[in-house]
Amino acid sequence: MASEPVARVVAEEVGRWGSMKQTGVSLRYMMEFGSRPTERNLLLSAQFLHKELPIRIARRALELESLPFGLSNKPAILKVRDWYLDSFRDIRYFPDVRSRNDQLAFTQMIKMIKVRHNNVVPTMALGVQQLKKEQCRTRKIPSGFEEIHEFLDRFYMSRIGIRMLIGQHVALHDPDPQPGVIGLINTKLSPIQVAQAASEDARAVCLREYGSAPDINIYGDPVFTFPYVSSHLHLMLFELVKNSLRAVQEQYMNSDKDVPPVRIIVADGAEDVTIKVSDEGGGIPRSGLPRIFTYLYSTAQNPPDLDGPNEGVTMAGYGYGLPISRLYARYFGGDLQMISMEGYGTDAYLHLSRLGDSEEPLP
Amino acid sequence: MASEPVARAVAEEVARWGGMRQTGLSLRYMMEFGARPTERNLLLAAQFLHKELSIRIARRAQDLDTLPFGLSTKPAILKVRDWYLNSFRDIRYFPEVRNQDDELAFTEMIKMIRLRHNNVVPTMALGVQQLKKDLGGTKAFPPGIDVIHQFLDRFYMSRIGIRMLIGQHVALHDPDPEPGVIGLINTRLSPMLVAQLASEDARAICMREYGSAPDVNIYGDPDFTFPYVTPHLHLMMFELVKNSLRAVQERYMNSDKHAPPVRIIVADGAEDVTIKISDEGGGIPRSGLSRIFTYLYSTAENPPDLDGHNEGVTMAGYGYGIPISRLYARYFGGDLQIISMEGYGTDAYLHLSRLGDSEEPLL
Repeated sequence: MASEPVARVVAEEVGRWGSMKQTGVSLRYMMEFGSRPTERNLLLSAQFLHKELPIRIARRALELESLPFGLSNKPAILKVRDWYLDSFRDIRYFPDVRSRNDQLAFTQMIKMIKVRHNNVVPTMALGVQQLKKEQCRTRKIPSGFEEIHEFLDRFYMSRIGIRMLIGQHVALHDPDPQPGVIGLINTKLSPIQVAQAASEDARAVCLREYGSAPDINIYGDPVFTFPYVSSHLHLMLFELVKNSLRAVQEQYMNSDKDVPPVRIIVADGAEDVTIKVSDEGGGIPRSGLPRIFTYLYSTAQNPPDLDGPNEGVTMAGYGYGLPISRLYARYFGGDLQMISMEGYGTDAYLHLSRLGDSEEPLP
Repeated sequence: MASEPVARAVAEEVARWGGMRQTGLSLRYMMEFGARPTERNLLLAAQFLHKELSIRIARRAQDLDTLPFGLSTKPAILKVRDWYLNSFRDIRYFPEVRNQDDELAFTEMIKMIRLRHNNVVPTMALGVQQLKKDLGGTKAFPPGIDVIHQFLDRFYMSRIGIRMLIGQHVALHDPDPEPGVIGLINTRLSPMLVAQLASEDARAICMREYGSAPDVNIYGDPDFTFPYVTPHLHLMMFELVKNSLRAVQERYMNSDKHAPPVRIIVADGAEDVTIKISDEGGGIPRSGLSRIFTYLYSTAENPPDLDGHNEGVTMAGYGYGIPISRLYARYFGGDLQIISMEGYGTDAYLHLSRLGDSEEPLL
């Protein structure tokens, strides 16, 4: 535990770094920079991250302390705030990166930071649950919960950015990368292939839960590729297909009618790659649609045991899949739109910017 | 021409009535009231309209006088403003409605008003063209010009309301209405039937223009009906199908591939009836999508000769079909959303509120 004077110094540092200007990077820039992972470039990258990461981490630590409705005091939120403070300290106490050895040690250090923060989403979800429980006891849901939604959107978007920067830097150290891959970016990603893989994973989950799973038909140009982060696209498609399968399954489980397949269409345009995931699972009433993008009203089961191991892909789950998928889509300048036809089914449109010129959103 | 003192008196009256509060009605109220078109009820309706129409017409006349960027001084806009002033005078000079004869005369009078205003949309469109020319084309638009969109949305929405109120009142005088029809409202409207008719009309136009037309496939429950205003639904569907047919035709005209059909799906839910019109006409880039709802940027052909005859259905055209269809949808609490997949096609979702509880939007 830090002593009083030390804690005060750190708090001052956090205050100082938390108000510095953040610097966004575009997908295209990450690709161009990472295509030549020379020692010099990795050194420059580490020096950039040595400044940029503390700014972003400090900003979030400050926000965590000033949340409305007493959210900041919830035990789970305090835990997350401590993670951010510890990570801030680790980076600030790391000396200047001057040599290759410094750079390798720095990379190890930020790798550890990423691991420390693996469970941020379920832990924040727990904190929100703690707040809800308390608010429900007093039977009051104050109208300002909008603020909390907006905060969570900013917070999780920032987390996506921090983990992208760290992950990209770490991955550039891979001595033997796959052809066409630059760090976390696959310059020749086939959306059809990701759709197939994500669909198989989603069907497996559906089979496990229900004993059967609707078919999935995928349409599009099988040789089309574009640069994108595979794990991001996989996460989003997995989430959307999972939701569609569940809706169709629930709608047709006790019916003898033929189960309509989920349909995925991949379209490549000049500006965007658009992926539509369509189901005939009965749809959502228009009045209920805004809720599917919220955090506070998610029908999440209890977040799992926080001591369990968690991999990257579990950022979704806890009923947060759709809002977080939308953040991933927007991170590189895209978007996720859902339209529903009550009584029929739902269409999800994933727009991914093809040009890669969009700078990271820095809330 | 009115003399000076008369003009001043009218201007004062316009200001007075234009500042009064408007009263909105819901589809359900119109249905329930119109279900018993007794003499007494028609008298009450006429007395209500005597006040309400004065308020709504005066409000628009005032608006037309205070448009930004000099729009108010364009010849075409002045023409429309004069129509509104004349109609205001006609209503205000009409004596109190006290008996059946008064009521019948009042009904004739508002019928004439509606006729006078038949060409408002093309005339306003001409005024917008005049403004564009004066400003030197869209490239020279000053900042803040988008406020004109908001004005035109309010103005046209109000016009829809005024014409609905007048049309409903006039139609209630029909001594021999179709079964299930109350004024302009068909209590047992079959959306499938309207979709079929609108598609036929749209295909006929496409045939005339191109010599051929893609197929239109319609899916849904043929027995399903709900209360709605037939010409509104027909107008919206005609517009959407027309656009889809054009997009597919242009895309496949010089191709040996078979033109894919336009697909219409009619879904009935508890809150909404949703109609989706889907085409594979190549889509619209995400960056260009917002423009299809605008008035200033529409690539409209010149509005036709103003002395020509115009029927209700030409409210669309001039490139205004989509924004005005959306106003019709919203008028009774619904909406129109358009999503596109660049390189593939476009989906239009028409949401129509089933409950009919929505009050007219009064802006």
